[in-house]
Amino acid sequence: MEKKFGVYICKGCSIGESINIDNLTKSAARVAKIQPDAVRVHDVLCSPAGLEMIGNDIKEGANTLIIGACSPRVKFEEFDFPGAITERVNLREFVAWSQDPNTDATQSIADDYMKMGIIKAQKGNLPEPNILPDLSKTIVVVGGGISGLTSALEAAEAGYEVVLVEKQADLGGWAAKLYKQIPREYPYEKLEEPAVFGKIKEVEAHPNIKVYKSASIEKTEGQPGLFDVTIRTNGTGETIKAGAFIMAAGWQPYDASKLGHLGYGNPNVITNVQMEEIAKTGKITRPSDGKEAKKVAFIQCAGSRDPEHLPYCSSFCCATSLKQAKYVREKNGDAVAMIFYKDIRTPGQTEIFYKNMQNDPGVLLTKADVTGISDAGNGNMFVEAENTLLGEKIKVEADLVVLATGIVPATRVPQEYLDGLTEAGKKGDDARKAYIESTPKPEFILNLDYRQGPEIPSLEGAYGFADSNFICFQYETRRTGIYSAGCVRQPMTMADASDDAAGAALKAIQCVEHVAQGIAVHPRAWDMTFPDPLMIKCTSCKRCTEECPFGAIDEDEKGTPFYRVNRCRRCGTCMGACPERIVSFKDFSVDIIGSMIKGIEVSEDEFRIVVLACENDAYPALDSAAIKRNKINPNVRIIPIRCLGSTNLVWVTDAFSKGIDGLMLLGCKYGENYQCHFVKGSELANYRFSKVRETLDKLQLEADRCELIQVAISEYDKLPDMINKFVERVEEIGPNPFKEF
Amino acid sequence: MPEQIMTQVISPDLNFVKDIIASGGESLKKCYQCSTCTVVCNVTPDDKPFPRKEMMYAQWGMKDKLVSNPDIWLCHQCSDCTAYCPRGAKPGEVLGAVRKISIQHYSPTPLAKMVGDPKYLLILFAIPVLLFLAYIAPKGYLDFSAIPRGENGGIVYSKFMPVFPQIDVTFSAAAFFAALCFAAGITKYWADMSKGAKTQGGNIIGSIKETVMEILAHKRFEKCNVTKERKTSHLLVFYAFAGLAITTTLAIVYLYGFKYESPYPLYDPLKILGNISALALLFGITFVVNNRLKNADKAGKGSYFDWLFIMVIYAVALTGIFAELFRLADIAVLAYPTYFAHLVFVFFLFAFAPFSKMAHMVYRATAMVFARHTNRES
Repeated sequence: MEKKFGVYICKGCSIGESINIDNLTKSAARVAKIQPDAVRVHDVLCSPAGLEMIGNDIKEGANTLIIGACSPRVKFEEFDFPGAITERVNLREFVAWSQDPNTDATQSIADDYMKMGIIKAQKGNLPEPNILPDLSKTIVVVGGGISGLTSALEAAEAGYEVVLVEKQADLGGWAAKLYKQIPREYPYEKLEEPAVFGKIKEVEAHPNIKVYKSASIEKTEGQPGLFDVTIRTNGTGETIKAGAFIMAAGWQPYDASKLGHLGYGNPNVITNVQMEEIAKTGKITRPSDGKEAKKVAFIQCAGSRDPEHLPYCSSFCCATSLKQAKYVREKNGDAVAMIFYKDIRTPGQTEIFYKNMQNDPGVLLTKADVTGISDAGNGNMFVEAENTLLGEKIKVEADLVVLATGIVPATRVPQEYLDGLTEAGKKGDDARKAYIESTPKPEFILNLDYRQGPEIPSLEGAYGFADSNFICFQYETRRTGIYSAGCVRQPMTMADASDDAAGAALKAIQCVEHVAQGIAVHPRAWDMTFPDPLMIKCTSCKRCTEECPFGAIDEDEKGTPFYRVNRCRRCGTCMGACPERIVSFKDFSVDIIGSMIKGIEVSEDEFRIVVLACENDAYPALDSAAIKRNKINPNVRIIPIRCLGSTNLVWVTDAFSKGIDGLMLLGCKYGENYQCHFVKGSELANYRFSKVRETLDKLQLEADRCELIQVAISEYDKLPDMINKFVERVEEIGPNPFKEF
Repeated sequence: MPEQIMTQVISPDLNFVKDIIASGGESLKKCYQCSTCTVVCNVTPDDKPFPRKEMMYAQWGMKDKLVSNPDIWLCHQCSDCTAYCPRGAKPGEVLGAVRKISIQHYSPTPLAKMVGDPKYLLILFAIPVLLFLAYIAPKGYLDFSAIPRGENGGIVYSKFMPVFPQIDVTFSAAAFFAALCFAAGITKYWADMSKGAKTQGGNIIGSIKETVMEILAHKRFEKCNVTKERKTSHLLVFYAFAGLAITTTLAIVYLYGFKYESPYPLYDPLKILGNISALALLFGITFVVNNRLKNADKAGKGSYFDWLFIMVIYAVALTGIFAELFRLADIAVLAYPTYFAHLVFVFFLFAFAPFSKMAHMVYRATAMVFARHTNRES
């Protein structure tokens, strides 16, 4: 494509009052190698007249547009010109709104940003979609509990073929084992009949859903749109094509036999699961002698929020005990239900149900640390507790004790096995072999034929719950096209699980549809580009396959990497990892960013700092700072990149050899309370940066000129100061000695 | 030496919880133990403050912990707690209900249950009505013209209902009965309170004296915020009753000491004191009703038990004043029935005092003495 440039400068939103537009026009024309009068200036470029002006230019052949106006994060519908390379230059937020008006410094910032935009447009190419052949849109749902059934129905109702795989002989999961369920509607007073049976009927009758019962997944190969799934039922295997997965394998109750300290083992100490069975029989009777129970004690967090057992809250047990207290009260008005809790946690509207239950005179609640259960004669027990609201130490007689046990995700056992395998692997091949021989292999759920392992990974410290980008995209896992829903990813009530299932179904639909269009699935859901390596220069160092967070890069028999492009999220981590710098996207490459850095004007009497800002959180935070009219240090030039993981170390060389005094990477926080959109981009960048520091030291260039700073999207107010401090540190070090060369 | 923490055995009494709810504490179960109530309460001692713990005991049906607890009476139902409760649990109303149950608990005659329950109201009134009817009906006094007049032809109530024996014996008997019930009640109450409490020994007379002085000054009412004006209204009613008690005593002296029979002229000191006290009672009780209606949103609307007591006082004041007015105006057809009603209400007030909210004066005073005596309060 022969590029015909169109350069536009908007004067609106105080851009025109902050900089000298004529001078900016001249400098931009010089860089774009066009006549100054060919640069179009408009008072309000996003107005119909402004857009018409651009439209007319496109009709006359303009196909490479550089638009100096507002942030690319806004007005993206107005400035959407299919078929044309469109580069947005952020003159409004980064210049007009965050710099002192009409100073030389401000003018040179505008010049630099326009120049970098033009360079990017010059170097970039128009993306074309990469659509793989023979795609399937079938959605496989793993698990036939409330989550799986809901996902299956939602996807099927939206017109997609669904295959539901259930391990048990019957659909319904735990939801089908309940006597009644927690109310889900205002006024949250009446217990509901289990809704799951209706869903089972609907699923079994739905023409778009095929159900495999007593079934397991033997093998899953391929990538989104092109999965080959082998399902085994009653000894026979069948391989089907599928586009996406919903992982709703559910949970198991915590093993109560480990709760001897709470009296489990005494026949009249039962779990909340057993309580459902008893309630189904009619009266609430106790197991030891079949006598009706009139003093029922519920012990909350039985094995939950306990470092010795399950350290987490299982979310539904409080509401479940309140529901079971209602069984006790409804079946006998003279009976009392006594609830001993650490905290009552009834998330969301379930709070109203809690308030209603609390209002029942026969439902007695107290905060308590239950210390034990002792014998009170006649099969009765004393619940002994400390730190209660009733007194320091109390004993309450009960004729039935219900332990509110929590949940263990179905993924936990496989995950523990795999974690053990990884640990053993670190000790060498022999240890690994010994581990495999000595440890019973659990039943895997997905049996992925991925080099990264047979299951979707678990987050570190997530107790074996299935992967989830819990901050932003809870249903997304690191395995593109596989979405987790329900209790397998986080403890939740049935109402929440149903919502979760619908969300995961939408994600699966997004996946198969985007794959069909040849665009990134998510989070860059608009992105038509894809990694396009120059394989001739590949040294098979495997760094890309190791570092790709999504397992999108595999190796052939010879060990040469190749992309399974539908798994790719277009973060560019491979581009950052590649020491040969062979990975490029049409509009994002090592060369493009390097050239932009080199395009920045550097003068000897001024410090110049480059900020490579993550597009996902850091860049919006900078925009927010500017919208709040916070001043951004005039010495910095901000370049957005897809993810800090895409930072290639050659850019450091590019910057310092050019005479840039400092380089700052601005990316997502890492650690347990924040998540990078691309899982570990900023963490990876930090790792790579540590290597750079060694190199810089050797070059007698101060390593402190480089710094990676983590920022949360909400910290925009602190961001200008964080930048100022970095600039001050660089100023203390002094000018880059390479400036003179 | 660290205090040994005793393990408390708790046996919830569901009927007690239901009883509190039925007695005006229907919001009881809303409490979620945030303790805002104890923080805003200005009358509680700092150590083991109320009413949070009382709310918990009440929710768990711990009757033993509550009925014999002096703290339930140290509460003056300012309703600051009720106004600030974030969940509308109305601790003030709940404690009011608990006090009612405590009164009933320590006055264990069938009358206790009946006074607290509206369905027995007519039966309770029937007792004095029938009693007084039994005095006058045989004489044919239901026909008012048959009632003898005074020397100057005016209405003389003692001719309608003789002071002796009808009035004096009846009311003496009622007062004696009430006093007996009170004596039994507070003896048991004191014994229950003393269980497990560390009494200081020392001089109980001092505690009694301090308590009486405090009651006379109504100091504690000043600590209330929401129901600030209650000090005036309660003080008026309190001193009105005191005035009326003195009036009654004087009347006895007049009658039995000086053989000076009623009615007395309006300039007589006894009459002046009596009339001023009656007006004070009327104004006071009107303020009480007004304050209660005005504060209902913040402080709660009050229970049947409260309102019965207030209405009886109201009726005593109104019937007393109107009986006098109708007598002076010589309107026999209104005067005799009003006086009759007055006797019925006064009987109701005194004979049923140990079972009605009237008992609060005895139990609250006892609890206040006890609290001082045990250093719970100083």
